[in-house]
Amino acid sequence: MFKLDRKLIASATVITAAALFAVGCGGSSSATPAEAKYTNGDVTIDGGTYYPVVNGKTGPYAVNTQEFNEAIYNGRKPTQNEIDAWNKDVMPDGTGLPEGSGSVEEGEELYEAQCVMCHGDFGSGASGTAGGYPALSKGNAEEMQKTLTNQRSGDNKDGDGPARAFGSYWPQTSTLWWYIQSGMPHPNTKSLSNDETYALTAYILSVNEIVIDGVEVDDEYVLDREKFLKIKLPNEDGFVPNIDGPTAPNDVRKFYANAKNFGGQNLNQGAVRCMKDCQEDTVQTVYVTNGGISDFNPPMSVVRDLPKEEGPFDPAAAYEASCAACHAGYLAPGSSDWAGYTGKGIEAVYKNGIDGTEGGMPAKGGSSLSDAEFKLVVDYLIKGK
Amino acid sequence: MNKVQENSTENTISDRRAFFKKTAAISTVAAAAVVAPQNLLASEDDHAIMHHPAWGQKLGDPVTANLYGMPSKYEHNNTRRNTPLLASGNWQASIAVTPIHESEGIITPNGLFFSRCHGGTAQIDPNEFRLMIHGELEKDIVLTLDQLKRYPRVTRTHFIECPANGGQEWRATQFNSLQFAKGFMASAEWTGVYIKDILKDLGLKKETALWMLAEGSDNSEMGRTIPIDKVLDDAMLVWGQNGEALRPEQGYPVRLLVPGWEGNLCVKWLKRLEFASEPFYCKEETAKYTALRKDGKAIQHFYANEVNSTVVTPSPEKPWTDLKDGDIVEIEGLAWSGMGTITGVDLSFDGGRNYVEASLKGLVLPKSWTRWSYIHKYKKGQVLQLTSRAMDDAGYIQPTIDQEVGELGVEGVYHRNAVETWEVTKDGKVNHVQIRS
Repeated sequence: MFKLDRKLIASATVITAAALFAVGCGGSSSATPAEAKYTNGDVTIDGGTYYPVVNGKTGPYAVNTQEFNEAIYNGRKPTQNEIDAWNKDVMPDGTGLPEGSGSVEEGEELYEAQCVMCHGDFGSGASGTAGGYPALSKGNAEEMQKTLTNQRSGDNKDGDGPARAFGSYWPQTSTLWWYIQSGMPHPNTKSLSNDETYALTAYILSVNEIVIDGVEVDDEYVLDREKFLKIKLPNEDGFVPNIDGPTAPNDVRKFYANAKNFGGQNLNQGAVRCMKDCQEDTVQTVYVTNGGISDFNPPMSVVRDLPKEEGPFDPAAAYEASCAACHAGYLAPGSSDWAGYTGKGIEAVYKNGIDGTEGGMPAKGGSSLSDAEFKLVVDYLIKGK
Repeated sequence: MNKVQENSTENTISDRRAFFKKTAAISTVAAAAVVAPQNLLASEDDHAIMHHPAWGQKLGDPVTANLYGMPSKYEHNNTRRNTPLLASGNWQASIAVTPIHESEGIITPNGLFFSRCHGGTAQIDPNEFRLMIHGELEKDIVLTLDQLKRYPRVTRTHFIECPANGGQEWRATQFNSLQFAKGFMASAEWTGVYIKDILKDLGLKKETALWMLAEGSDNSEMGRTIPIDKVLDDAMLVWGQNGEALRPEQGYPVRLLVPGWEGNLCVKWLKRLEFASEPFYCKEETAKYTALRKDGKAIQHFYANEVNSTVVTPSPEKPWTDLKDGDIVEIEGLAWSGMGTITGVDLSFDGGRNYVEASLKGLVLPKSWTRWSYIHKYKKGQVLQLTSRAMDDAGYIQPTIDQEVGELGVEGVYHRNAVETWEVTKDGKVNHVQIRS
């Protein structure tokens, strides 16, 4: 009996908390119990089913409902230095964006040295060892943003699709700045200074022909924090649902409560579970054409046999695994450009490869190959076979 | 004396050289003589029964071999696969997909769990693992792996699905393969801690902690923003996968698990959770993983993988070419929903024109793979179009291709959950087709 009473009190507390939250006037922020704001029967923020703890179970899972009030707090409080070391995200309102500056010209120089091998001339994209590296621009951002309604269907089946690149599609430049500094260049991330990041951001803005506060980002442009915060990209308002401001959680919940907003069919919202004559007369059977995509690695097979014996060390395979990410577009296997590097003798080339270079070559390409294996890969790169 | 016993007697010969010579000879004969039993005449003896196989006579491996067990060597084709179409320039920003056509039950072996990364699989030293939780809290915290594992544990079975599963086929079928058409997902039993249980001590600031950033420590520092509703509902930090540590490909030592939601939200190689009043606009929630609708607006923060299903047996990889007229065969499949629990699956033999009800079987769990079944009498030469359609307890039912494309257009890439069709040809081959206007 006592247990039941306690449960009733507990759930009443949850309902009160939910009501307070819904009208946006929650009380003090001290020591809050961490509870979902839903009650039984509610739809969750994604439009799904909520499974409250009822009679010691959530859905089919039994849970420990024993109550305890003492804090567990198993860790330690981070120092401010530690938080600063890891808290590097940059938000649209400028939170986390450091002071600094960089010009388009400086950005272009950095781009040519560290980015062009993958992202192509002027950010046009390039093919890699597997698929294509992303384009950073598809042309004038304002113009390209208009292609977002393009559909490759009906009369436009073989026509142009929507151009999704930074300038035409992304809502915020903070994302670009943050990602350049945390995730680029791909083989050596977190290596660019704040000023270098400003410079590369400026260059990418320029190849997308972005205008900041009425000024086009041209070759002379110098980007700094103040100017950065004035950037408005053409597709900033191209996204649903709203996720900004204090109403965002409710806006998101409302959006996903309506199946139509995201192409869903919900039996509680008028959809029908049709069992007879369910397809339109207009439907046809569409087959995979020309065998479809079938360059699978390893090739498709369901045979139960013994695997082939592993062969000797294969420099070509090691190249694919550890070097191709960058070298496919820059000093590729057999490239005549190697002549500019082998002049000082092969030992010098080996040494640069094993130790790494300031030009962006990580030591042994970041691989765990032995020196002997690595030299075989270098030989393969130079000779192309 | 029959032949089987004769062989046994011969193997007792004490001359070791003769013994090995003889065994080798028998093995060669055995390999050459294998005939599939369905091709044997009624009066013929099956060689697989009539001889002693080598593994039954020789000593097997000692228990000291293979101390971490591996699959039989004969299973080497049951493996993840990749293809250049599903790579952004290199194999470090790519995906290797799960062989769904070989899947059993509702758990994927850890070595076959699909692997998606944005800067390669990080190999993390667990001794240097730290998880920082900070932001709109009364008290921040840093945890080591051991400290994290001391919180009360929760074990749950959930699938993880990349929202691009099936995303290459908005305009037409491209993959004549179940592994590539539906294998951007896998399922496991996960062990970890509810984030809400850690937050109990940290004093979450109710008015300002509306979003949580989850950030990985990998090369790409993969990040995503999670709404506080989900954090306080069932989001977990997990370190256990099917009874052992997470595999590196799944984020060892700790990943976020956001049950039912897009796989990329389940940030791997986790290092930091930050609570804030505004979302973070991470690369993978703006540039990617946003679904462009035909009105030119893109759905951002598209969370749950909607109700979905597929026929697993038969499949393009595992056809019915060996079935005889009148054979009784099980049509088996998977259904799943990130929005709740599967309530039923319907099966069509004519590409979704007419449906019958299939049976659910086994455990039926929320936000989990669910197996379904229908027993069928195979008629040789009959062309079938097998279409499955699942429903969940949030009321969702899979749309037809026309319905889904009609609402969204064909450029969305993500969250395609329209019904899927396998065509069984008159000789039992299976092709991936779409039934659409």
